[in-house]
Amino acid sequence: MRKTLAKNIFLNINPIKKFRTIKIQMDFLRPLDKEETTSRRLLANVMSNSTEDYPSFQAINDREMELYGSEINVFTRNLLNFNDLAFSVEFADPSFLIDGQTQVKDNLDLLGEIIFKPNLADNKFDVTAFDTEKRNLMSNLVSIQDNQDLVSSLGLAKLIYQNNPNRQVPIFGSIEQLNNLTNEKLLAAYRDVIKNDTVVINVVGNVDETEFLKQLTDSDFYQQMNNNRNDLQIEFEKFDELVKKPATKIEHKHLNQSRISLAYATENLAKDYSRLAPQIMNLILGGDDQSQLFQQVREKNSLAYSVSSTYQPISHLVTIQAGLDSDSIDKAMALINQQIEFIKQGKFTDAQVQHAQKVMVTRRKISTDSIQYYIMRSIWETVYPKTLMTEQQFQSELESLDKKHIASVAENMHTIAQYQLIGD
Amino acid sequence: MTEKLEKQTKKLDNGLQISVVPMAGFNQVYGLAMTNFGSVDTGTENGVLPSGVAHFLEHKLFAKPGYDVSEKFAEYGANSNAYTSYTKTAYLFQTLENPYDNLRVLLDLVQNPYFTEKNVASERGIIDQEIQMYLDMPEWVLEQRILGQLYPNDPIAEDIAGSSKSLQEINQVNLLETYQQNYRPDNMNLVLVGDVDFEKVENIVENSNFHTLETPLKKTFNKFAPIGAGGQETMDISQARSSYGIRIDTEMTGYDLVRKQFELNMIMETLIGESSGNYQEMSKLNLIDDSFSYNVVAENNYCFIIISGSTNNPEQFQEYLRKHLSYEALKEVLTDAKFERIQRDAIGAYLFAQNSPEAIANQMAELYFYDVDYLQLVQMIDSIDKDDVLNIAEKFLKDNNCTYYNLLPSGK
Repeated sequence: MRKTLAKNIFLNINPIKKFRTIKIQMDFLRPLDKEETTSRRLLANVMSNSTEDYPSFQAINDREMELYGSEINVFTRNLLNFNDLAFSVEFADPSFLIDGQTQVKDNLDLLGEIIFKPNLADNKFDVTAFDTEKRNLMSNLVSIQDNQDLVSSLGLAKLIYQNNPNRQVPIFGSIEQLNNLTNEKLLAAYRDVIKNDTVVINVVGNVDETEFLKQLTDSDFYQQMNNNRNDLQIEFEKFDELVKKPATKIEHKHLNQSRISLAYATENLAKDYSRLAPQIMNLILGGDDQSQLFQQVREKNSLAYSVSSTYQPISHLVTIQAGLDSDSIDKAMALINQQIEFIKQGKFTDAQVQHAQKVMVTRRKISTDSIQYYIMRSIWETVYPKTLMTEQQFQSELESLDKKHIASVAENMHTIAQYQLIGD
Repeated sequence: MTEKLEKQTKKLDNGLQISVVPMAGFNQVYGLAMTNFGSVDTGTENGVLPSGVAHFLEHKLFAKPGYDVSEKFAEYGANSNAYTSYTKTAYLFQTLENPYDNLRVLLDLVQNPYFTEKNVASERGIIDQEIQMYLDMPEWVLEQRILGQLYPNDPIAEDIAGSSKSLQEINQVNLLETYQQNYRPDNMNLVLVGDVDFEKVENIVENSNFHTLETPLKKTFNKFAPIGAGGQETMDISQARSSYGIRIDTEMTGYDLVRKQFELNMIMETLIGESSGNYQEMSKLNLIDDSFSYNVVAENNYCFIIISGSTNNPEQFQEYLRKHLSYEALKEVLTDAKFERIQRDAIGAYLFAQNSPEAIANQMAELYFYDVDYLQLVQMIDSIDKDDVLNIAEKFLKDNNCTYYNLLPSGK
């Protein structure tokens, strides 16, 4: 069932029966704004800390356990050019429980509590909840420096998005902004979210659609979700400047292993193969354990344990990551460039192409064995349906690809950023 | 309507157990072969093996004469992987198609070692990079250090992958000997989750080439030195981490040990889980952040609990736990209502795991070595009552089995 509850408030119910759990997720979306990134993340943490009826972290956790280990998750993430503040509850399917008759309603109520009945006192968030979560987030932000893979990917992102101020603050916020965030400002941010964000509600699992819709519309908080919201404008990043002048940064740290992170923009691909050819090219380059990078950098030259490439379909970026000894970096860079050249020149075999095609089909089908797949697909259908391919489109584009198309992706790949974290 | 899980199993004459679990509506088939051999198993009749040998074997079994097994999996449309834990090693594949061909590849993987001086040498560089990667992770370093306090000089305190030095001592000879001792069918089991025919699986495995040994399987357990007094060191990190360890020496094995693990988890959840008063209090006192967690391990003869997290004050962190992890404190907070919630939570976790063929295969294979049927776990959870939990707590919550380790930021 797909239903529009008000302008830009969408409800999708997928009563699929293959899972042992049911998941309800509500995504609140608005354009990324660097001034709001930290407050939205702190808001996620404060709202999942406690509510009006469950006024402590302990009380809310007790309630989750009572409901057979329901899992509440509140987080922010980048989705296109939007900041997505997502609230979800996943819980055991009542048909597997002896006494789970009210399980769906109870969990919907709990999620509703978290979103619409915050723990307020004196026109502020509860001071304990606010202080605890602010301290927690600060601690998490400080700890980022101790996660070298994250340091490396953030270093690369900072270079890639150097011309977009809204992407300069990582999605989990910044220490500087957090220091300046007051309880009052956070409450204002909360009220703004509830009133103005586009909302996508997804329900996946063994539920009765009509009954669920009734439970939702009967709920206390439904009134807060039926005012019209603004349209979302999708925008895409341009990397023209970086193509002309790639950004580079080298940092040194006291580490056992060095990391390199590289980014490439792909552009000017013919429309009829622009969606799958880059993904096939990426699989051949570094997408799995049969790829050129894995075989040449790791297996043949023993330079790295971890080396791979990924392709991001929305931004059309290819990124390469590797962890290795600092004195192997030049050799590894030369090998990486050789593999890109290898693909540009069409030296890969038909068997490599067939393998990549098979992997694409397998990953697509196996992903449907996860509850999250249905939620993400539904969000894309609502927000940006163009990115989805029907089974027929997928098969026909996949089958029509030839080596020329794949090589042309590599030919149109331009270095835009290089980040090196040197361990010494 | 989703159906409850069922399985078919058979123990073959050579001692190998095979299990098949159909998963209605799921597209994939997930296959896993597990051996009851991990990084702690370094003691042999002929002396001590270099640390990291189980993990090295896991990497190098993929090598075959003229090909790598991952290529064969890829040809049949599967992705493959492997992992080594303290006490187990597992090899797995996930596929949409050709489950029987992939099963044959999995059997080839675990049945036919091919170690040469050259291929062993080339793997050293790769594994050394894996070790270096983990050495930059403070959480991982802290786990090694607290295990070093809980089990001084024991192989469990070494990195699962070994060290740059121990890698040099691993060669094709000790790899082959270790393989032959441990990769025998009576020390392994095989699980397939998904739409496969049990008889066909049975037939393929029966006709495969497992090597067997005449000597009966002997599992030697390590002897433990007394617990260390605790310690700390500096590391180039921005946030201090602290770890508190409790060692529980037990003679229990099999079903009883798994049940004990559930009971210990219930005790920890009551005392310091997110639903506990202590969690709230420690948070309020700024002693923990949301990285705070505990882990209960009960494998072979190792049984321990590690509590760890980032902290601004390692000393107070330790002090708080020492004071509040007590039988008296547990008796006070473990009400009937609390116990029921904890039991419900455990049942829910069991259902959550059943969304994942991977989780089912891994848990089923692991529990086999403890004579526990994965599909009977709910009955096990149900059979635990509050008094069982209190009784066990009274025995282990005492002062002389605890220790600690801190990682402090250098320069502070």
